Amino acid sequence: MTRSWPAGLLLAYPPEWRDRYGEELELLVRDLRDHGRNPIPMAFDLLRGAAAAWCGTKRGFIMSERSRQALITVLWSWVAFAAIAAWFGHDLGIYPTRSIAQKIAISHQVVPGAYHVLFGVGIVGIAATAVAAAPFALEAARYAREHHRNSIFALMAVPPLVAGIWIGVVQLIGRANSTSHMTVAVLWLLLGLAGIAASTQAVTSIVKTCDFSRTTWRIGAGAATAVAAAMLVGTGATIVWGLAYRASQGHNAIGSGWLIVTAIMAVTTARAVIALIGARRAQEPAPAVA
Amino acid sequence: MEFTEPGVLVLTSLADGPKHGYALAKDIESFAGIRLGPGTLYGALSRLEERGWIEALPAEDRRRPYQITSAGAEQLSGYLKTARQVAATGLRRLAPKLAP
Repeated sequence: MTRSWPAGLLLAYPPEWRDRYGEELELLVRDLRDHGRNPIPMAFDLLRGAAAAWCGTKRGFIMSERSRQALITVLWSWVAFAAIAAWFGHDLGIYPTRSIAQKIAISHQVVPGAYHVLFGVGIVGIAATAVAAAPFALEAARYAREHHRNSIFALMAVPPLVAGIWIGVVQLIGRANSTSHMTVAVLWLLLGLAGIAASTQAVTSIVKTCDFSRTTWRIGAGAATAVAAAMLVGTGATIVWGLAYRASQGHNAIGSGWLIVTAIMAVTTARAVIALIGARRAQEPAPAVA
Repeated sequence: MEFTEPGVLVLTSLADGPKHGYALAKDIESFAGIRLGPGTLYGALSRLEERGWIEALPAEDRRRPYQITSAGAEQLSGYLKTARQVAATGLRRLAPKLAP
């Protein structure tokens, strides 16, 4: 079927509205055209209808389960990626030696320092997470108040509480500068990882429980895309850096650490990207027009 | 609802049986003299369906008919009774001014 030109304006409608009514509306436009209706007023009417459909987009839009799951998958992947990248990035800053780093920089000038790239990835990822966290937190609080769900407030308190306690104790350990505190420091580092996991689980529960507006989901999807892109860049930089280092120092110069780090980064990045692609392909449910 | 609001026109058109988009547009044009644009018509259909005042029937040759629900019939009936009362009052009050 050849689409008449006013029907092309259906693209101006919200996607979920189009999924529900698009085909019928296109047929109506064609019928009216076939019966002599002037296409120009019809085009204006379609544009006005599209604007009304966007304005009438209702809050409390129900996210498809697959899209919701995709955001959660990206969140967990990002947390795992950030933890391993932070460790590896820190390692890169002090290891193996400044002279070797300079040697790599001279022999492979096009290869950016993985440390700096990972640092940039971290900033992008944290910024995107913070941007998405604000509207999700506001709407989760609203949902908790409207539905009298105090457990959601408790879950919302987990990440700042864990971060506050953990950073506070790190400050105390830092002041006590003795070898006997090294064990405590390592133990606290491991507890920090457990805290990150607990915080992520709390956020996951909130995302699974609450209803969020379409705008908030869009912000979440945008942030997830930015995070996944940053993860891709970070993984690529780490692979390139490792290969360059290997080429300049010989095949055995780089240990299994790099391989493990790269593998974890690649797996978490792949999980995030696949989840996002899957969510994009997933069908959105029912019309959401007031 | 205003009298010319597309929702009223659609409900009135569906009051005598299910219709798809084009049939609705032609019917409304015939009884109200109003040519609803496709965007306006489907905007009204989507709002009425979301409120539960009309419901979609299985598509026939890709054209999906809609029918009025009992809730929609009640709404339309209530509106038309009020409109009739307003019309009667208005006409009665205008009568002296319009009398020759």
